[in-house]
Amino acid sequence: MKTVNKHRKKWDGVQILATALLLVFAVVILIPFWNAVVISLETARAYSLYPASLVPMEFTLDNYKEMFAKGDALLLAYKGTLTTTVFGTAAGMAVSVLGAYAFSRQFPGKKFLFRVMVFTMFFGGGLVPTYLLYRNLGLLNTYAGVVIVSLVSVYNIIIMKNGFEGTPMELQEAAMIDGANDLVIFGKVMLPLQKPLIATFTLFSLVGYWNSWYWPMLMLTKGDKNVLQLFLRNIVNDTILNDVVGTSMAAQQQRFAQGIKMASVFVVMLPIMLVYPFLQKYFTKGILLGAVKA
Amino acid sequence: MKKKGSLTQEIWKARYLYLCLLPLFVWLVIFQYGPMYGIVLAFKKYSARLGILGSEWVGLSNFKRIFITPVAVKAIANTLRISVGRLAFEFPMGIIVAILLSEMPGKRGKKAVQTVLTFPHFLSWVVVASILRNFLGSGGVINELLSGVGIGTVNFLGNESLFRPLLYATANWKEMGWSAIIYMAAIAGIDPTLYEAAECDGASRLKRIWHITLPGIRGTVAIMFILAVGGIMSAGFDQIFNLNNAMVEGSARILDIYVYDLTFRSVPDYGFTTAVGMFTAVINLFMLLGANQVVYKLTGDKMFS
Repeated sequence: MKTVNKHRKKWDGVQILATALLLVFAVVILIPFWNAVVISLETARAYSLYPASLVPMEFTLDNYKEMFAKGDALLLAYKGTLTTTVFGTAAGMAVSVLGAYAFSRQFPGKKFLFRVMVFTMFFGGGLVPTYLLYRNLGLLNTYAGVVIVSLVSVYNIIIMKNGFEGTPMELQEAAMIDGANDLVIFGKVMLPLQKPLIATFTLFSLVGYWNSWYWPMLMLTKGDKNVLQLFLRNIVNDTILNDVVGTSMAAQQQRFAQGIKMASVFVVMLPIMLVYPFLQKYFTKGILLGAVKA
Repeated sequence: MKKKGSLTQEIWKARYLYLCLLPLFVWLVIFQYGPMYGIVLAFKKYSARLGILGSEWVGLSNFKRIFITPVAVKAIANTLRISVGRLAFEFPMGIIVAILLSEMPGKRGKKAVQTVLTFPHFLSWVVVASILRNFLGSGGVINELLSGVGIGTVNFLGNESLFRPLLYATANWKEMGWSAIIYMAAIAGIDPTLYEAAECDGASRLKRIWHITLPGIRGTVAIMFILAVGGIMSAGFDQIFNLNNAMVEGSARILDIYVYDLTFRSVPDYGFTTAVGMFTAVINLFMLLGANQVVYKLTGDKMFS
């Protein structure tokens, strides 16, 4: 970090305190991540000798190799996560963007339909009726079920609607005079103008599906389908660790359970780290604040 | 202004907009309102043979059972304790971080700090709990350091008296940066001339925070508070489920965990579990509306009318 320029005003006590506190917070957040990465890259011996070292004392990629060695389970989990993330985001965004667009325009019954939608934000059937519905529809143990259950976020629709409402009316009216219908206006005026907003929510949706584990845990119980988050959960809770590292005691001692766990954490986390800079670019701009003002 | 046509004409004119809404409402009706019909189960004794419709009506007996089942009562108590704790120890944190950030000089440093503080929000509790358990666990760095300096190890994760503080601390670790964002936007919306005038009058920085920043974000704080109170019966399933273990189960069994355990880890009694779920949802709804009224009476801010 750059030091403060000399000609700048001197910081007062509050500023120094604020900066110091925030730096402490940042360090407290960073250290556990750092520690996890270090452990994933070192040997069991190094970890037991220097548990608090800031760099791997004996560098190795064995933990990652061990993790990838159990290819089938990992591949299955990757397949599940990619399937639900891609289809969920594509379908969910289509439904949400169209809905948000309609609600940004005027039509008879808008107020009523909007309330019907918003009510679901604050009240729902609850776990058991929802689960039974998916069971009755035959959606348990399908990726379709995992996709559908978190297809739409009403909150996000409201924010997008507010964004769409900010589109200059003149453009829409000009298109209308040219005889364009509402769908054409959506495709020709709204979509191109609102690309950043839609891109932001697409990323949010990707992250949401990537992170989802609760409904997959309830739904994908037969073992022939899985997602990465559950794979990780099982590894960390030791339920399939023996599967992964083999069962013989000697083999287990050579292998470094904690290292494999942290390697798994890192692999599951990496895609989020990659999209995070793009996410941040948008949410710091205040793009997400529409809902509160509505 | 053009003269308005008849209602049917208006509807016909908007036909493409209804088309846009169609997929959304199909989903809402089937998958959001559909389960609401299942709520009738709360008033029935579920029998798989008879199905939801055919099962026998039992009136309010499922609800009465909640209050005479000690585990359920304990779950309600756990839920309320944790939720109130969250209001006390987590709710203010976003406001504090936002104010600290607004007072931190230097654009680049501020952005770097914000990048770090917001990041954990985008990870699932599965990932975060894995990292924190590694860090705080019995063989983890913290305990190695503590025993290294002669303090001895602390069982952070398996100690019932430390469980609630652990929840507040780790939730803040994950979410404080994210919850600050909304307040930072509110602070950014405050008229800068107010600060300039106060500075001319010789108001100290603390005074400016107290008299300008805090009143300036009051409306946002009110809305976030109403929302938080509206979730009082939901004490944070994801976090607790992933930090749970046999040693802290007594404190960790909130209503949502209780319903999950009853439904998926024992022979399910769908009537009773639906009743517990509905009890939770209805109280949340009333707390939301109640908080909205109370905050409105006190400050004039509200979320909906």
